[in-house]
Amino acid sequence: MELTIDQRWDLVERISKETVEVGVYEPSLKDALADVTVRPATGIPFAIAVIYGFWAFFCEFAGTLFTDGFFCKIFDGHWLPWLQGVFAGTPAWVFNIFVGDPLADNCFEAFGVLSSGIFLAIGVVLPAIVAFYLIFAILEDVGYMPRLAVLVDTLLHKIGLHGYAIVPTILSLGCNVPGVTAVRPLETRKQRFLAIVLLSVFVPCGAQIGIMEGMIPGLIGWVFLALVIGYFGVGWVINKIVPGESPEILMDVPPYQMPTARNIWAKLWTRTSKFLTVAVPFVLLGCVIVAVLYITGAMDAIASGLSPVITGVFGLPQDTAAAMIAGFLRKDLAVGTIGMLAAGGMTITVFQVFTAVVLLSIYFPCLATFALMIKELNWKETLGALATLIVMVFVYGAILHLIGLSGIGSSVWVPLE
Amino acid sequence: MRKVLLMGQANVGKSVLFNRLAGAHVTESNYSGTTVDFAKGRMRLDHEDVEIIDVPGTFSLEPKDRAEEVAASMLKEEKGALVVCVIDSSKIERGLYLTLEVIEKGYPVVIALNMWDVAKGGNIKVDAKKLEQILGVPVVPTVATRGEGLKELALRMKNAVPADVEKIMKNVGVKSGTHN
Repeated sequence: MELTIDQRWDLVERISKETVEVGVYEPSLKDALADVTVRPATGIPFAIAVIYGFWAFFCEFAGTLFTDGFFCKIFDGHWLPWLQGVFAGTPAWVFNIFVGDPLADNCFEAFGVLSSGIFLAIGVVLPAIVAFYLIFAILEDVGYMPRLAVLVDTLLHKIGLHGYAIVPTILSLGCNVPGVTAVRPLETRKQRFLAIVLLSVFVPCGAQIGIMEGMIPGLIGWVFLALVIGYFGVGWVINKIVPGESPEILMDVPPYQMPTARNIWAKLWTRTSKFLTVAVPFVLLGCVIVAVLYITGAMDAIASGLSPVITGVFGLPQDTAAAMIAGFLRKDLAVGTIGMLAAGGMTITVFQVFTAVVLLSIYFPCLATFALMIKELNWKETLGALATLIVMVFVYGAILHLIGLSGIGSSVWVPLE
Repeated sequence: MRKVLLMGQANVGKSVLFNRLAGAHVTESNYSGTTVDFAKGRMRLDHEDVEIIDVPGTFSLEPKDRAEEVAASMLKEEKGALVVCVIDSSKIERGLYLTLEVIEKGYPVVIALNMWDVAKGGNIKVDAKKLEQILGVPVVPTVATRGEGLKELALRMKNAVPADVEKIMKNVGVKSGTHN
């Protein structure tokens, strides 16, 4: 027997009247905290403090403590010399692919699969991923995410999204792949399309941020600014163009909760091991492809073929084509490639590095994200997403090129060691 | 193999329950919409291996978004499944709506009155025994995050039976046949 909606609610009411007894509720400290963090006047400063704390921890933990303090020493002091010894007798091309430049004294400059590739993946990106997911898991389990969603709701409505879209957006700062699936709770196709396009084009992933933090700490703020402007600017335009509704959704704001170590650990482990098994092979594969393209001379052909765009439109050195190719596979590798190219002798100005990093972020989602976009969107929407990012990369590239012509940041960039 | 579906509203602890029952590691978080796709695992039930499925949260069986679509179609596909309706004890009205929908469709049901601790903290008392009498299906208070009540829940799954909506209506004083 099936009831009508009204009959069902009537029945629910009668059942709960018989079984539930609601006593006097005494507001606790938790409620006071819940209130403070969601009221705009106090909630917005609180949110800024949370995000700042997140960032500070990320840099300290990942960059300073692990990458600089630990991994650089191990990789440069032990791993690289060991590799150079093991591969000493091998033919030049083997040595080139796996170990890279025989004269290099650090893993960043070597440019080989087992030297730079492993160093980027394990030494730079892994600590960044762990740091990100640790804090993110705590914020998730405490129950802060829906409160953040409430705070940014008005802002996101201006671009046709709902406050909930902040969840996939922040999740994408770890990795775009789970970010793309996390848009499912958004109600309309339009909102899901918007959210997927914006996050896959403008949200850099944790791996990429980790490399940026290590390579261009002074420029990273500007890169973020350029991406945030893009997120809202393009969102505003797409919202005007794409038909469809942007309805309100009711969202549950759960009570704050003490996170359990067990769950934090489980999440950290699942997400990190996913990175190790899925991303690391791609980083290494990317290194091999770039190395092979160089050795066979194909890279020079590609670079000169692309130079009307890369040099003409974007105002970048022709050699950055190598980074663009690596970027199809992994964004972190792509950003790292620019550093390695500069360390290997390519002349590039500070502003060009900034331009290249911004363009790398938006020009194409990495392969894994793209595969998932196809799954979540229909063909028309996928083509729309591709068209958006092609237009975006040219618009951004040209604008940044013009700004660069003013002479800003024209000193030659010196990669950090 | 028999199937057990964990169903309920968003953020009532289905994934936590799933991880505990199946010894699996699907992501748990304190906000709605963490699970957007279903996850499968195995558990032992009455000397038999059964498949247990963590279904995305849904308010009702009339889907409003993609995650709810997944939930509604999962239930439709698994005709012979046993359904564990997971309810937030501090606001059972919301959970009961979906539970009734599932009961109406004739599935055998067990109710997990989860977040029992949250209800207690909010001074809300739910009479689980009485609820069980009214609905005619097993009702078990649980605190999934701490593993409380899960053994009993697993034990009572074998008592799950399809319930009779007319009987439920009679139990709370609605005369059957008076459809308006």
